[in-house]
Amino acid sequence: MAEPTKTPRKRLAIVTTIWKYLSHAQHMGDRFLVGYPWNGRWHRPAMDVVSLYVDQRPEGDQSELRAREFGFRVYPTIAEALRAGGDKLAVDGVLVIGEHGDYPLNDKGQVQYPRYEFFEQIVKVFEADGRRVPVFNDKHLSYSYEKAAKMVAASKRLGFPMLAGSSLPVSWRLPPVEVPLDAPIEEALMVGVGSSDPMDYHALEAMQCMLERRRNGETGVKAVQLIQGPAVWQAGKDGRWSRRLLEAALARSTSRSGKSLVDGRTQDLAHSGELEELVKDPAAYLIEYRDGLRATLLMINGAVQDFTFACRLRGDEILSTQFLLPVLPNVAYSTCLMNKVEEMIATGVAPYPVERTQMASSILDWCLESKKRGNIRLDTPALDIRYRAPQRSQFGGAAEMV
Amino acid sequence: MSEPLKISRRAVLAGVPAAAALSLTQNRAAPSAEPARRPRVAALITEFRQLSHAEVILDRFLEGFGWETRHHRPAVDLVSLYVDQFPAGDLSRERASRFNQLKIYPTIAEALRAGGDKLAVDGVLIIGEHGDYPRNEKGQTLYPRYDFFKQTVDVFRRDGRTTPVFNDKHLSWDWAKAREMVDTAASMGFPFMAGSSLPVTWRIPSVEMPAGAEIEEVVGIGPGGVDSYDFHVLEAIQCLVERRRGGERGVSRVKALRGEAVWQAMRADGWKAGGWDASLFEACLCRSHQLAPAREGFNHVYPTPDDVARMVKDPVAYRIEYVDGLRATMLLADGLVGDITVAARLAGRAEPFSTQMYLGADHAMQPHNFDPLVWHIEQFLTSGKPSQPIERTLLTTGLVAAGVDSLAQDGKLLETPHLAIRYQPNPNSTFRRT
Repeated sequence: MAEPTKTPRKRLAIVTTIWKYLSHAQHMGDRFLVGYPWNGRWHRPAMDVVSLYVDQRPEGDQSELRAREFGFRVYPTIAEALRAGGDKLAVDGVLVIGEHGDYPLNDKGQVQYPRYEFFEQIVKVFEADGRRVPVFNDKHLSYSYEKAAKMVAASKRLGFPMLAGSSLPVSWRLPPVEVPLDAPIEEALMVGVGSSDPMDYHALEAMQCMLERRRNGETGVKAVQLIQGPAVWQAGKDGRWSRRLLEAALARSTSRSGKSLVDGRTQDLAHSGELEELVKDPAAYLIEYRDGLRATLLMINGAVQDFTFACRLRGDEILSTQFLLPVLPNVAYSTCLMNKVEEMIATGVAPYPVERTQMASSILDWCLESKKRGNIRLDTPALDIRYRAPQRSQFGGAAEMV
Repeated sequence: MSEPLKISRRAVLAGVPAAAALSLTQNRAAPSAEPARRPRVAALITEFRQLSHAEVILDRFLEGFGWETRHHRPAVDLVSLYVDQFPAGDLSRERASRFNQLKIYPTIAEALRAGGDKLAVDGVLIIGEHGDYPRNEKGQTLYPRYDFFKQTVDVFRRDGRTTPVFNDKHLSWDWAKAREMVDTAASMGFPFMAGSSLPVTWRIPSVEMPAGAEIEEVVGIGPGGVDSYDFHVLEAIQCLVERRRGGERGVSRVKALRGEAVWQAMRADGWKAGGWDASLFEACLCRSHQLAPAREGFNHVYPTPDDVARMVKDPVAYRIEYVDGLRATMLLADGLVGDITVAARLAGRAEPFSTQMYLGADHAMQPHNFDPLVWHIEQFLTSGKPSQPIERTLLTTGLVAAGVDSLAQDGKLLETPHLAIRYQPNPNSTFRRT
């Protein structure tokens, strides 16, 4: 990326829950402090973090250390951070990173990270000061679909660029494939791991970034159901999700489990029967889109350690890939996501629609509602979310492929 | 991520690769595979333990592996096994008991004849990596690949028939033995393929060296130690540079550096001053996903030269001068990086070409770099046609031997007329991209 030399350097505020080693704020915020690898160069964004708000300071807090070293200030309120101690909005972009920290769970098992509350205070400053700047929100917009919708509505009403979501859509893929724009997708399956609601969110957004490219774009979700335990396997036998797509997804997995960890042997997990033994508590997130597409997220802890996707295009053509999550401590997927944030702040244009994140946030919220109500199917008239995918492929290395 | 994956660099080193390459030589005696029949294969191995090369390769033949959108089961039958050592943790007997067609024989000849009196297989795999073998005074492990090969050729001669032979990793620790192996295959006319998984695994980003590129200088960096990872990094370099204008014409001189001499090279101003192009070094580190943090409390930060010198305890570099003027540096920087990356400066192109050859990164995320290697071996065994020239691995074998020799002579610059090996690359790209 060419380093702009003549335009003034942009000023950033970071609004976060906590900043300690390996928290999202650290590995994302540091990209703007020390740079990151990009296209074979160590890239240093032509922008400066000038202010920080941290909601909590747990043991290992690095906020003051970073502020001292990199010449910015930690402010006691979000408004002060955005105004950098003055009386008017004094930054050109805001990063909301509300992941990690000690926050209560609600009755659906969602961590109530205060992203909406942070966002609300940011919007108040924008309105009071008569100026708005691009905002990035890490991960889902909110645990609540209603709050997520309000956030998107506020960005539309005030007309500021907004980018949000997970790093999976923009990380590297193995293989590096994209759903062709306007492809007819007949069925899709995503495989994910980890706990709810941090990790199922990542999986849902990864799936959504593929499905939104289908014919006629995104037109919303009609109903969802989250099922658990043996019902997940039964649903597969009943044809509610496809074993063929599971094979196609698992063929992209690069993790090992079960007998493979014991003595190395490779496994055909989709058909050997060991999957059902390895996964003690499977969950299937069954999603019915308004245009008839059926998609499933299988969370199969114990069987894999990575995130894979498969879909059937018209006919027998199957496309599958792994969303690669490079390991700690570099977690190099962060470079992919922060490059998109940098792009938005530099250009004033969000590189992909925030509705993707709204959709994934809302699907998750409704699936967890289904779980709470005894795994019943729920109609989701509120998920009438419509948008078009960007034409340009934006996953890691997509622009460099030869 | 809220639930980060665990990292184990030790595992990265343990689960190391092996390779793919093959002969341009037209086979005079066609391999004896009949199209309608599944090829029967013998494997001659040093040991069969979890994550040993024999295990990761042979289990993929026995159990299949993820390929494209399927769990792929190779269309060949592994029928006989010669196992040189049975250490604690041996799995060969368990495999032989579970797979009816597979038998373990006490000698190589018996394995090749499957217990009968004539060569009874259609392909041979020599996997001589891991196991308890002595080291020579230069620190090379004396894996018996050449001996396995010799015994195989003896059976071919006696029984009047040959088959394709695949050799995992470099051909031998010894240049003369390696040369003899390639010459023997050529003179007897059987297809011969060898090498590392590096050339065929995923690349991040997924890029190929343009055919006919004018390459001026190349740097490859990896973890690990001499006589092991140097070979992998060299294969990663060679599979790219062999595509340059005019094809491969070989190497004229090799000089190895170790310890402080490597840091002097790092601080030197380019190749002529005894160093390397700093932008290529940077490109390599910027393609790594496992760049060790130079500062406490930072997860990803670019190291200063002082950081690099502090972090790498036993740096090793091979400076390689090719016959046509190309210059290459193979750098082992264990402690700095956990993966293998290559960068090249191309004439007329401002930014370096650079990529990572992806090996997986966690104990439980290994060793899927063997999937494409086994796929290529399968194609080789069923078609008799190597997907890559054996000369690549002959050259990289010779480069390891020359590097080790130079190290043993305190970094003496060695003339390498024997490495003036000429070959043309497979015009098709063979790394995993679908």
